[in-house]
Amino acid sequence: MQQLLVRVSRQLMLVPIVALASYFLMASLPLTTEDDSKRQVSPELAASYRRDLGIGEPLGFLRPWQKLFRGERLGTSAQGVTGDELLLKLSGSVGVGVVALGLALVWALSFALFKSRWRRGRLAVLGDALPAVAFGTPVFIPALLLAPTVVERGYLLPELTSALVTSVWPGIFLGTLLADALETELARDYVRTAASKGLAPGVVLRRHVLPNVLPALLDAIGPMATSLLAGSFAAERVLGLPYFGQLYVLAVLQKQVAVVVVATTVFASVLVLVGLAVETVRLLVDPRAREARA
Amino acid sequence: MSRIPTRAWVGFLLLGGLGALSLLMGRLFPEVLASSCPLGSDLTRPDRTVCELAFGGLWISLAIGLAAGGLSTGLGLAVAAVARLSGGVLERWVMRLADAFFALPDVLVVMVLQLAGQSLVDAGGGAGLGPFGLMVVSLALVGWAGPARMFRNRLSTLEGQEFVAASRALGATRFHVLRVHLWPALLPFVLAVFLSRLPAAILAESTVSFFGIARMEPMSLGRYLGTSYAALIYEGGTRIVIPAWALLMLLVLGASLSSQALGTSVRKG
Repeated sequence: MQQLLVRVSRQLMLVPIVALASYFLMASLPLTTEDDSKRQVSPELAASYRRDLGIGEPLGFLRPWQKLFRGERLGTSAQGVTGDELLLKLSGSVGVGVVALGLALVWALSFALFKSRWRRGRLAVLGDALPAVAFGTPVFIPALLLAPTVVERGYLLPELTSALVTSVWPGIFLGTLLADALETELARDYVRTAASKGLAPGVVLRRHVLPNVLPALLDAIGPMATSLLAGSFAAERVLGLPYFGQLYVLAVLQKQVAVVVVATTVFASVLVLVGLAVETVRLLVDPRAREARA
Repeated sequence: MSRIPTRAWVGFLLLGGLGALSLLMGRLFPEVLASSCPLGSDLTRPDRTVCELAFGGLWISLAIGLAAGGLSTGLGLAVAAVARLSGGVLERWVMRLADAFFALPDVLVVMVLQLAGQSLVDAGGGAGLGPFGLMVVSLALVGWAGPARMFRNRLSTLEGQEFVAASRALGATRFHVLRVHLWPALLPFVLAVFLSRLPAAILAESTVSFFGIARMEPMSLGRYLGTSYAALIYEGGTRIVIPAWALLMLLVLGASLSSQALGTSVRKG
């Protein structure tokens, strides 16, 4: 239990560290306002950023959060965001991410089963080629290829497409890990024993092998959540989805520094929550994890 | 590692061949690339062909990947060496910092660093870094944590070997052991880690450039697709996207092949 608390507190520490690091980085940006030829932002805009970031005020780093909790707009009126809008955009991205996670798990399981079934057949080369193709494909490429068909149709089709294109690489990555774990487990004595007692291969796989293999997935869920959320930025941009990824990219492009601080911290918090959820699920499903912490 | 595996050679040839060809055709003979391009002219720049822009931008992506991969590997190596040499609490804290960095998504942090760096450059600072240097530094600042963790673990494993214990028993200092005994054993692993950073750097650069945040000139593959993505969507740009995708994939494949083959050979050797 103590080990778990240490891990949880270490993960939670990431949020204030990210919040402070991004705040001080943004607050120290030399945004030039005077010289017309080098001007990055107008003097009015710079003044609004100073107000948003509470520069020169005691505990100024809390200012963006104060504004959000009071329901005030952060950033300029046209491109800024309120707390409610931020939550709405985040929920959109998380929704897409959850669908993508489900799809990635489906890809992973299908790819692992396919690879273990065909590992010595003619199709074995596909098991090596598919990860290479998936890894060499940034999310925006399939999004660009599918965008002409889905962008203007609506009816959640862009959201589903975003989840689909975002899920491919993480799914294949997980599938590769799962296939390796599956291969190791299938070579163990208990699998031969179960098969020699007359259990069907499918039953051996479902009842004995998969429960031992699935905890391997949990180790990869954290990095996968990161790549799903980061991948959704590109997909949202191409498919025109007005969610968190789009907000973040536009905030960086338009130098909405207060929005960048808040969005970066929110993003880090989401990652920490995913990490905590993974730890909880691990404790629930993996008896070895419970024994290690007892 | 007495012999470099064939798969690694294939990867090196793919990387070197593509990079050299792109540099040669894009910089020295652009007219040949323009006149023999079967993909036609670009959608948003009708005076340039797709081949000039896509194939000509390949070497920029590769150069950024090589420089950022090299710098992040060097940083990771330095951090791991300092951590192992100091040991104790400092090592634990340095590795914890590396873990925290590793948990953050590359693309997001590179975007923030690009924003900060560009503001600094625009304000007359930035130590003379152009868009290329800024991207390399941003990618290196994000990418050092993974290599640092891998080098620290590798050093820790190597230090457990008998020849290191013998050297220490003879009175060798930690620095001497690192320089004389561990470094030669670590070198092939360093190369494998560097090559494994290469595809990650290329993909992160192409994604950030695609968003329009980096200002690379001549354009990298990601920036090329990013500057015209609206036209690609509404006017149908399959003939542009697919060749650019194939080029990116070949680059990543070359780096992955060589790093995997070298990594396997290091583990076996």
